[in-house]
Formats: sequence, C-alpha cells, structure tokens
Amino acid sequence: MADSSLRQRRQPLDTKENAQQPAFSRNDIKKITQLQKQHELNEKNGHTILFLAITALSTFVSFFKIWYPAEVVFDEVHFGKFLGYYLRRTYFFDVHPPLGKLLLAAVGYLIGYDGHYEFNDIGESYEANHVPYVALRTFPAALNVLSVSLVYSIMKQSGYAKSICFLTAALVCFDNALVAQNRLIMLDSVMIFFILITVYSYIRFRKLRYQEFSTSWWLWLFATGAGLGCTLSIKMVGLFVVTAIGISVLVDLWALLDIQRGLTMNHFTRHFYARAVALIVVPAMIYLTCFYIHFAILIESGPGDSFMSSQFKDTLKNSATRMKALDIHYYDNITLSHRDTDVYLHSHSLVYPLRYEDGRISSNGKQVVGIEEPDINSWWQVLPATENEKADDDWASRTIRHDDVIRLKHIGTDWILLTHDVASPILSTNEEFTTVAPGERFNETLFKVVLEDPNNMNTWQTGMTAFKLFHMDTKVALWTHEQHLPEWGLGLQDVNGNKNLNERSNFWVAQEIQGKNATEINLSVKQTVKTMPFLRKYLELQGRIFSHNAGLTKPHPYQSAPISWPVMLRGISYWSKDETREQIYMTGNVVGWYLGLASVAIYSGVFLADLISRHRGIEPIDGPVRQRFVNNGGFFFMLYLLHYLPFFVMGRVLFLHHYLPAAVCSYMLLGAVLQFMFVDGITSPISNLQRNASAKIHRHTSVLDPMTAAPDRTSKIMLAIVLSCQVAMFLFLAPMTYGSPSMTVDQVLQHKIFSGWDLQFAK
Amino acid sequence: MASRFTKPSVNKNEYTHPPVMSPASFFNNIVPRSSHATPPPPYSDHILSIPAADAMYSSATARQEAVHRRRPMKWLATDDDGLPHDKFYKAEHQRLQAKQQSRNRDWRISMALFVWALFIRFWHIWEPASVVFDEVHFGGFASKYIRTRFFMDVHPPLAKMLIALVAKLAGFDGHFNFKDIGDDYIEPGVPYITMRSFCALNGALVVPLAYWTIRGCGHSVSAAIVAALMVCYDNGLIANNRLILLDPPLLFFTAATTLAWVNFQNQDQKPFRFWWWTWLMTTGLGLGFTLSCKWVGLFIIATVGVSTIHGLWVLLGDPYVTWHRFSRHFAARALCLIVMPLTVYALMFAIHFHCLPNSGEGDGFMSAEFQQTLAGHSMKDTPIDIAYGSKVYIRHIATRGGYLHSHPHNYPWGSKQQQVTLYPHQDSNNWWTLYKDNTEKVDEIEYIRHGDIVRLKHDDTGKRLHTHNHRPPMSELDYHSEVSAYGFPDFEGDANDLWRVEIMDHDKHDPVSKDRLRTLHSKFRLVHMNEGCVLFSHNVKLPDWGYGQQEVTCMRNSKPPKTMWYVESTTHELLPPNAEKVNYRKPGFWAKFKELNAVMWDTNQGLTQSHPYDSRPQDWPFLRRGISFWGKDFRHVYLLGNPFVYWSTTLAIIFYFATKLALLFVDKRGYKTDFRGELK
Repeated sequence: MADSSLRQRRQPLDTKENAQQPAFSRNDIKKITQLQKQHELNEKNGHTILFLAITALSTFVSFFKIWYPAEVVFDEVHFGKFLGYYLRRTYFFDVHPPLGKLLLAAVGYLIGYDGHYEFNDIGESYEANHVPYVALRTFPAALNVLSVSLVYSIMKQSGYAKSICFLTAALVCFDNALVAQNRLIMLDSVMIFFILITVYSYIRFRKLRYQEFSTSWWLWLFATGAGLGCTLSIKMVGLFVVTAIGISVLVDLWALLDIQRGLTMNHFTRHFYARAVALIVVPAMIYLTCFYIHFAILIESGPGDSFMSSQFKDTLKNSATRMKALDIHYYDNITLSHRDTDVYLHSHSLVYPLRYEDGRISSNGKQVVGIEEPDINSWWQVLPATENEKADDDWASRTIRHDDVIRLKHIGTDWILLTHDVASPILSTNEEFTTVAPGERFNETLFKVVLEDPNNMNTWQTGMTAFKLFHMDTKVALWTHEQHLPEWGLGLQDVNGNKNLNERSNFWVAQEIQGKNATEINLSVKQTVKTMPFLRKYLELQGRIFSHNAGLTKPHPYQSAPISWPVMLRGISYWSKDETREQIYMTGNVVGWYLGLASVAIYSGVFLADLISRHRGIEPIDGPVRQRFVNNGGFFFMLYLLHYLPFFVMGRVLFLHHYLPAAVCSYMLLGAVLQFMFVDGITSPISNLQRNASAKIHRHTSVLDPMTAAPDRTSKIMLAIVLSCQVAMFLFLAPMTYGSPSMTVDQVLQHKIFSGWDLQFAK
Repeated sequence: MASRFTKPSVNKNEYTHPPVMSPASFFNNIVPRSSHATPPPPYSDHILSIPAADAMYSSATARQEAVHRRRPMKWLATDDDGLPHDKFYKAEHQRLQAKQQSRNRDWRISMALFVWALFIRFWHIWEPASVVFDEVHFGGFASKYIRTRFFMDVHPPLAKMLIALVAKLAGFDGHFNFKDIGDDYIEPGVPYITMRSFCALNGALVVPLAYWTIRGCGHSVSAAIVAALMVCYDNGLIANNRLILLDPPLLFFTAATTLAWVNFQNQDQKPFRFWWWTWLMTTGLGLGFTLSCKWVGLFIIATVGVSTIHGLWVLLGDPYVTWHRFSRHFAARALCLIVMPLTVYALMFAIHFHCLPNSGEGDGFMSAEFQQTLAGHSMKDTPIDIAYGSKVYIRHIATRGGYLHSHPHNYPWGSKQQQVTLYPHQDSNNWWTLYKDNTEKVDEIEYIRHGDIVRLKHDDTGKRLHTHNHRPPMSELDYHSEVSAYGFPDFEGDANDLWRVEIMDHDKHDPVSKDRLRTLHSKFRLVHMNEGCVLFSHNVKLPDWGYGQQEVTCMRNSKPPKTMWYVESTTHELLPPNAEKVNYRKPGFWAKFKELNAVMWDTNQGLTQSHPYDSRPQDWPFLRRGISFWGKDFRHVYLLGNPFVYWSTTLAIIFYFATKLALLFVDKRGYKTDFRGELK
C-alpha cells in the first residue's frame, strides 16, 4: 500500500501534456529546491539545538546512578555468564545469535576483564567479586542514548515538525521500561539500537530515490543491509525488521516494475540486484561472520557441549564425552540408555501378564522395560547375527558399523532380545518387546544398528554415537516413552516397538562397556582436536537454536501473555534488596504506552475511514498530509505490528521486555499521529527532487503540491501537556526503575497502579 | 492496491441521472454505449466470483437490475418504438432454450455420477462387520444419545445426533458400546449397516455437488466431470465415507454450502429476488450445519466471510449503489451469514441438551452448577450458615477436580505425612470441620467472618490441614509448599495448622456472604498464617500412590482463580432443622451453552498427545502417510488417498499460483498476450 498510493492520481498516459511533461517543470523543481534549502537552513539550527538537548537529557537519564545496584540484576545472570565464557573461550550454548554477546564481550576484553565471575544468582554482589560492572553497563546505556538520538533523527528525516521530533524522542527517553532494561548488561539495548539504525538508513535511502545509483544512495542501501544483518545477529527478533524492510522493498520494486513507470527491464533488474545484494547477501554475510567469530573464539569444551553432535564436540579441546568414547566390539557387554528420557534398557524374569485389564492378550514373555538407575539387569551382550551362540574370535575383534545386524543378549537371564507382532502393554499400536531363550526364533531377534550420523562416525561407540535399533523382521524401532507400567511391571517405563522409524525419539546411546574404563584408555591415546567445516558447524548450531528456542516452554513466574503487554497488566521484578527495601520493577511508562496504544487505534481508524471514503470517491485528507500519513506513518504502523503480533503465535515463554522494540515503534507512530492531529499541514516534499542522470528515465514523480507545516500555539500546548504527563509518570515510577530510593509500604502500594503489579515489599 | 480504481471515470451527467425505468428507454440502456461511459469492471478474482455470462451485460450492475426487473416477454409485444424486437426475442429465446438444455444435461450427468458414486461407496458396506477405527467414538456417542446419558466430546453435536437418529430409527437400543476396534457387530445385532449407509449417502452426495459447483463457476462440462470423478474415485474419501464417522456429514454440508455460495454469487445481477435470497439463506443454513458438525466448519465460514467482504467492497465502490441500497446488501448478508449460522449452531446445542437429560460420564468435565441440571445429580438443600464447628464439603472452583480430600495414605517422600488431594466424587473423606484457632469446643453458634483464623480438621482421620516448608510431590518449585494432614490423638495442633479465611467474591444477591462465610455464595481463599501462601490446586494428577487424584499445594504469590474455593454443603449440630437452606441456582440454556463450548475448547487445546498414526499438515498434500483403520486376518482397511488425485490436485494448486504470478507480471509490464482469461 505504502508506495503505490504515492503515485496515485496518475494521469492516463495518452493525454499529451502529461506524457511529455511531469507535473513539476524543471523550473519548479529548482524553485522548490531553493525553498527547501532555505527552509533547511532555518530548520537546521533549531534541529541542532533540540537534538543536542535530547541527547544530553537522555545521557543523564540513562547514566543516572548506573553504578547502582552493585549486584546482579535479572538476566544479567545469563548475559554476564556468556560474556565470561567468551573471555575464557569456553564453548556455551544460547538461543540467541552471537553478535550482541560478542559486543558485550568485546567491551569486557577492552577493559581488561578476565571473565572469572559466574553470575550465578540475582542479587550477588559485584564488588565482592571484583567485576567491572559499571564499565560493562556503560555500553548498553550508551547505545540507549544513541537510540534516543536516532529516534529524533528518524522523525526529522521523515519531515515532521521540530516539536514532534523532540516530543517523540523525549517520550522514548522518559520511558521507564527502556531505561530500566537498557542500562543493564542485556541485549535489548543493542538490538533496539540496530533496529533504529536500519529504519533510519532505509528512510534515508528512500529519500534518495531520485538520485538512484548515486554514491549516497548506495551508501544508505548498504547501511540498511548492514543494519539488518546486525539486528538479526543479535536476536532472532531481528527477523521482524527484516520482514518490514522486505515488504517495503517489494512494494517499491513492484511500483518500479510498472510499465507506465518507463523503466526498461534492464534498468529494473539493476534495481533488483542492487537490493538483493545489499539486503540479502550483505545481512547473510554479516550473520555468518558473527558465527564465524563465535566459533573462532570458543575453542575449549564447556557447558554447551551437551547440546551439540559428537562430531562437533570433537572440534573442542578437552571434550569430556570424547574422553569417555570407546569402540564397541562384538561380545562386549554394554548398557543402553534412551536419549530423550534417560532410562536404561532393562529386562528381568518377570513376565507380561497373559491378559491385560482391558482384555487384550500378551505373549506372556519376559518383560523388557526402561529403568532409571542401571543395575545388573541392564547389561546386554552384543552378538553377531549368526545362529552360533559361542563366542568366536573372528567376530570378537570386529567393531560394529552403521547398518550392521546384531542380536542383543540379556546378561542377567541369558535370553535374547526379540520383538514381534504382539501389541505392547500400553500402546496397542506398538509392538511388544520381550526376550526368548537362545536358539529360538532366530529371525525375530535380529536388529540393525542405524547410527545417527554415519557419514561422520561410522563406528558404534559408547557415549558419542546415538543410534536407532531397527527390527529386521517387522520394521519397528526400539522405543520408549514416559509412561510407566502398572504394578505387574514394577512401575518401570514401558518399552515397545515404534512403527514410525524416523522419529527423533527413537535414538539410544550406549553408555558403558563392562570391564573397560574409557577415560583411562582414552587418556593414554593422544587426542587430536578435529576440524569441521564452518558451514556445517553453523548449520548444526542454527538447527539447535531453532529447536531449543521452540522448546523454551517451561513456565516462569514472571512470564506474561502478549495481549497483556501494551496495557501493562503485570511487570517483572528484576531485583530487590530486603535490607534497604529497594527494588527494580520493570514496567513501561503508563502514559506513553497507553498513548502508543491509542495511536495504533487512531491510525487504524483514520486509515480505514480514508480508505472507505476514497472508495466512494471522496477525498477527505489533503494530498501531502495523506501521503505522509499513509506512507511514513504506515511504515511505523507496520513496524509496530510486525514487532508485536508474531509473539501471539510463538509457543515459547514470553516476557514483557519482548515488547520493548514494539514500544519504540509505537512511540514513532504516536509522533506521526500527533502530527496528523495537532499540527496543521506537513512539510513536503522532503525528498530531493533533483534527478540524476540515471533517474531521468522515470516517467513519473510525486504530483503533490509543496506544503509547509504550520505548528501553532494550540498544537504546542497539546504536545507540552503530553510530554509533561510522560515526564511526571516517569519520575513517579523512577524509584522502581533505578532501584533507589527505598519505599515504605504505603509508597509501594501507592505505586501499584494496576492490581496485577506484584511489587515487592507491598506488605 | 484497490486505490487505483477508486475514481471511476464516470461521466458526471450520467452519474446524477440514473437510467429512467420505462419500457421504452430499456433499449436505449442496453444498447452498448461508447466504452468510456461505462464504469470500469470492478476488481474480481475468478476463484470466487463468477464472471457474468454475457459480456454485453457485464458492465453496470444497476442497469442489469433494470433489465431483470422487467420480464422481457411481457412488454416486448407492446413495444412500439420500432426496434427489431423480433430479432431480439428470437435471440433471447434461443439463449433461454440453450440454458435449459444445458441445465437438463447437467442434471442427467450429475444423477449418473451420483448413482455411480453410490455404487462405489455401498459396495460391500457390511464389511468389515466389526468396529473400525473412530467408530469407537462416534458409534459410541450414538449409543450414549440413545441411552440419554450426558457425555462430553470436543465436536459440536449435529453429525453425532444425525448418526444417533439413524441408529434409533433402525432400532438400535444403545446396549452396544463400541469399546474397541475389532469388536463384532453381528452378534449383538447392531444396525451398523444402516448407520454406515447414512454416512455413505452423505459421502456420495458430495460427488454431484462437486459437479454442480464447478459448473456453477462457469467451467465446462468436462472440467466438472473430471472434478466429480476425482472426488468419486478418491480412495481416502471412499474408505472414510462408508464408516460411521463425522466426516461424511461434514463433507456433505461443506460441499452443499460451497455450491449454495457459488449459486448465490451467480445471482449477483438480480439482488433481493427469490433465488438470490434462497441461495443466500441456504449458504447461511449450510454454514450453521457445517459448524455444528465440527469446528473445522470455521474454515468454510472464513472462506465465505472473505468472499462476502470482497463482494461488499466492490458494491461500495459502485457509484450506482446508494448508501441506502448498500446498507440493505449489508444487512441481508449479516442476517443470513452471521445470525442464521449462529442460531442454527445454538439450536443444535439446545437439541443436544434436550436429548441428554441424565447424568453420565461427561459430568466430570462440567461445573457443579451444570451438573445440577442433570438427573441423578441433584444436591439436597443445605444450611446456608457456616459457624465454628460446621462440617463442610469444600470445593475447588477453577478446576473440576472436586472436593478437598484426605485419606489415610501418606506422601512417599517430602514430609511423608498424610496426603491431601482433590477428589471429584462425594465421599465421607471430604468432610472437614472448621474450628477456632485456639479451641475445638463449640458451645454456641459463632459465624465465620472474612479474615477469621481457622483450623480445618479432617473428619475421618482427625488430622488437621497443614502446610510447611517441603516441596510438593509434583510441583517441585520454590514457590509451592506441600499440603498435608497432620496430627495425632490428643495433639493440640501447631501454628502450621492456622489458615485465614479471605472472602474474595460473593453472590451479588446475598450481600451477607461478603463478610460472612456462607454456603455456595462466598468464594474464599485460605491463606496460611506462617508461610503466607494460599491453598491452591491445579490440573496435575498424583501418580498411583495418590490414586491419580489432583495435587493440592500451597502457593506463594498466586492469583485467583486457582486459589478460590467454596463450601458446597454443610451441617452443624447446633443449627435448628429449620435453618435457612440454600441450593445451586440451575444455569439456563445460554449459560450451559457457553460453558460446554468453553470446555470443548479447552479439551481440544489439550489434545496434544501423540498418536502412532498422527501426521503433520505439510505431509497431507503429498500423501506421505496413511492411517491403519482396521486389520484382521491379513485383511486391512487403510486410509490412503488416491495418489493420482492427491498429487495432481497439489500440482494444480502450485500451477494456479505460478500462473497467477506470471499473469500479474505480464500485466504489470504491459505485454500484449492472447490470453483470454481475466488478469486482475
């Protein structure tokens, strides 16, 4: 929508005067350009003063008492820890891409911090642990200041009145949630900064559309791409801004493709490739580079090992599982554990009851079950697929490889593992596992060992290689799930044959080999650290990030539903100190967030009303005002929706601070709406209309009359009221934002604006 | 993008003078004028809207209405302005005749297809003569309807009631309960053939409906035959539709609604006439019926909804449609497509409740008030006042776990004291007695008020409700404490037995219950004095040692509603027999309707357990996996679509989008093509 309406009221091609002559004659453009320059000069000084003022204000607000609290606050637990891992070069796993943490670690490196501290619990003292936390916090706080300045610049570049620019930036500056969040060692500040950089660059780029392929055009295009890449490399939330820019670019390209626009296909493809390179290739390169640096730094085995494949672990120094790995030979006695549920394959002389409670009939054979603690009955001997029961030296020297067929003998009872077409006790659709006396039913005791990653590790090993056990005869996989057998099965876990061979829960791991101590054997062999191509490492980690992120569903006491965010029904208690009765409680500025919500409603209402009336042939809004409202306001509106709505379909645990990027977008939208409501007219055009040689080919340009915004006294009073409400609310909530001073019970109760705010020390 | 077309280039004069409706001027109007005088054709997408049959008529909607308001036959004879009406009459006559012929042919073909589909679906319908797959559920529901015992299912009732009705008419008495796949039908004499025939009939009807739908969309006879044959020969549909399942009625209603909507769209030149209304209402009824079979019906509602909004948007952009006329269009659609389906949906539930007046296995899903409406569940009136010394049944509000309960079994770990659980059934172990914090002597009636501190003594075991700093068995979290029953004879109790009664909510008709604990009317929570936590329960079941009963804990920083309780019944020795009594207020239809739908929704959300034959949507169009419905003695019923049908239709969808994209591109670049279809 945003772009096509820019060229609305286009005249038909065949009318003569229009075909030759754009709505602006060359003289007109010169005149407008001169006027623009004059206007710019006038504006410039005012803008400089306001810009400096808001930057200074924001610096004060962000850095005020940054040394307090001198304790670990909320998610500093995580990000402080990660920073330490980088500095100690130990491998760790986190669901966020690396750039944000890398930047924090870079700051730590520059100030000489060695990463010794573990950031174990909220409330631990920094001073006692000698952590240079003030310097570490300076970085996010500084980016917060820059974000406020960027909001000012975005509004300025979008051509809003000075008062609106200042107001919007000030609203962002005095938002309690942003201040509370962004002065701590966390990623949100970094991410918001890069989102704004991207938005700013893209707006600059759009304004240069009549100077296509000029140096600055390329510069801002690549800046947009770089911004996208950096945002994406901080959190996956960066995908939202990628989508926003992507949609805008597609709309833009679609308009350029229009034959009436006069571009040759060649010319269009140049436009297309420029954008593809800058907005797809560049971000992808940045994203991958971040991971490259990530892997280059983290070379020691660490807490992240357990998330990765065995091949990956081999690339890390001093890997513990590598130490424990041993080749499995025929006739070795091993224990097998299920990878997902951590139970050991177990059998004993108890049998399945002949008839279950529901009347189904079993084989009445010995039970095969899963047990949590391995014991003597959890050992199995690996036999070759021969009918000969005796140990054979020929076989004994062989290791077992991918796709080899084996039999498993239960050591405790000397019987052989078997499955057959009998329904399992709990799931009637799955097959029952049991054991039979040696020599009986040979064909039904054959199993194929299918390793998880045979291309990398073709030998079956303990610890390292996950495998599936396929039954040769009936094509089921050995499987177990978290359901326990009734009393006849001693409440142990049900084991059965799964007909779906490809499920990820079919994997088992061989744990130990009887009589051999893996660590001793492997210590005597000199270990070499293997290498792995970067792209494969990356793809593996990316896969784990996606699956782990989706799996973050464990409830948290301070989680909240997206619907409650803009109305701020509940905040998050970040930190509290019993002795002084101080606390940091993260909530937004009630004034600003509700106004932001109102602006979303007003915007949708006006937009819809305009759409319907235009459909009926009535045009209620002035051209330039409408154009800015629809295009620029629409861009902010889209940014807001894209940073908010996707959370509704996310399965993972969500927190109020996920709303912060959307909150910043809603402030910018609020600026646009306030301009529409209170300021008469709009300064237009703001783009440079002087075409360069390449852009001459375009047949169309904006055909809107130039216009200047005329903010009057009333508008300024309205804006001043909004701002003072915001500041008043900010100051009111400030004790909970900065964690000081302490409050009495009465004061705490007074600050409890909504009943859902579970403040500390409220009684 | 629609803004491109916002300002139709209509001649202003013509705009202000709508065509005069007289027979004489009719010809002036239908003779095509120079093309610039007609407004551009509205945006239309040929998935849903139907191109008008005659290009000459397709330009101005309102003028078309003028055409049809007058029957050409009546006035042509009296026409006197010298136009060649003979020719016109002849052409018109031929056109109508051709139309009639084509309609007759459509009837013949569709009937033939129907008969053939019937044959395919009824072939050996008596086999297998035992319960197949989900017949377990839907056959079972039929028997529950016949036995009039209340049950709960995640699907709305219509399809199940139809199946039950057929079964009843066939003489089924409901004694057979369809318990397991493979149970024999013959010996208990279940009229399963009749029940399956009903479903197969529904399935077979989809075939001619498909034919008519494609024809109605303006496609050729051969296209319609291909589509109908694909439906007819899809193995998946055949396997599914000849069994006692919900899908056959659902598919039938969906197909019928689609056809009705297509026919309605074809009437868009003759709004507010008989057939326009008929098809609009049929669509509305169809939507209601579809939704009443399964909630999947929401998809067809969404489809029709989007199409309606699109149609209204086009009407809104038509300068000949006045606001008044537009509001009539709007109101007609709102009435038929929103009000009617909802009425049908609610009506189905009314019938459902009417059919199931007795208590049954679905009770446990419903609230206590709801249960009161079922025969076999009515509670006796109970005294309204609660005083120290009252024996009480305490019921949890948010979950349907039942009553606060304890029994002489201990927790296997933690404090190893006696278990406290929620138990859904009435039982003497649910009785607790309320005592003062310092004495258990009761000499006079002293009511319990908001903020009073009480002890709760379990009647049967004489132990007191207790909590302490142990983690509960299932919710091993810092902010939960284990709740137990603790004490022994002659033990005075300790400080961990003290609870504060806080009345959080009360019945608005009984203001006394705000300050004073009253049976049924006061909703209260119990705050533990020492720990500051609140008595809490949630849908977490204890393992076998707790008999699968619901866990009760004491939770800090908790919120309503899972901490809210009320007293369901009470006795007190000192209360006179004529003391004021109270009982549940029985909910009306709408309250029951709302509650049942909420329960269905919640249960549906909870259906996440994996099934050995479950599959993901991305696998369906490629037919990656089927379902084994039934198997015995090497004979199987396996649900699997016809690969030819599935793969070719999937290809068709991909081809459609690719073509659409290519055409949009061609249009945007202004290439001249010979393509005769619509571009936009």
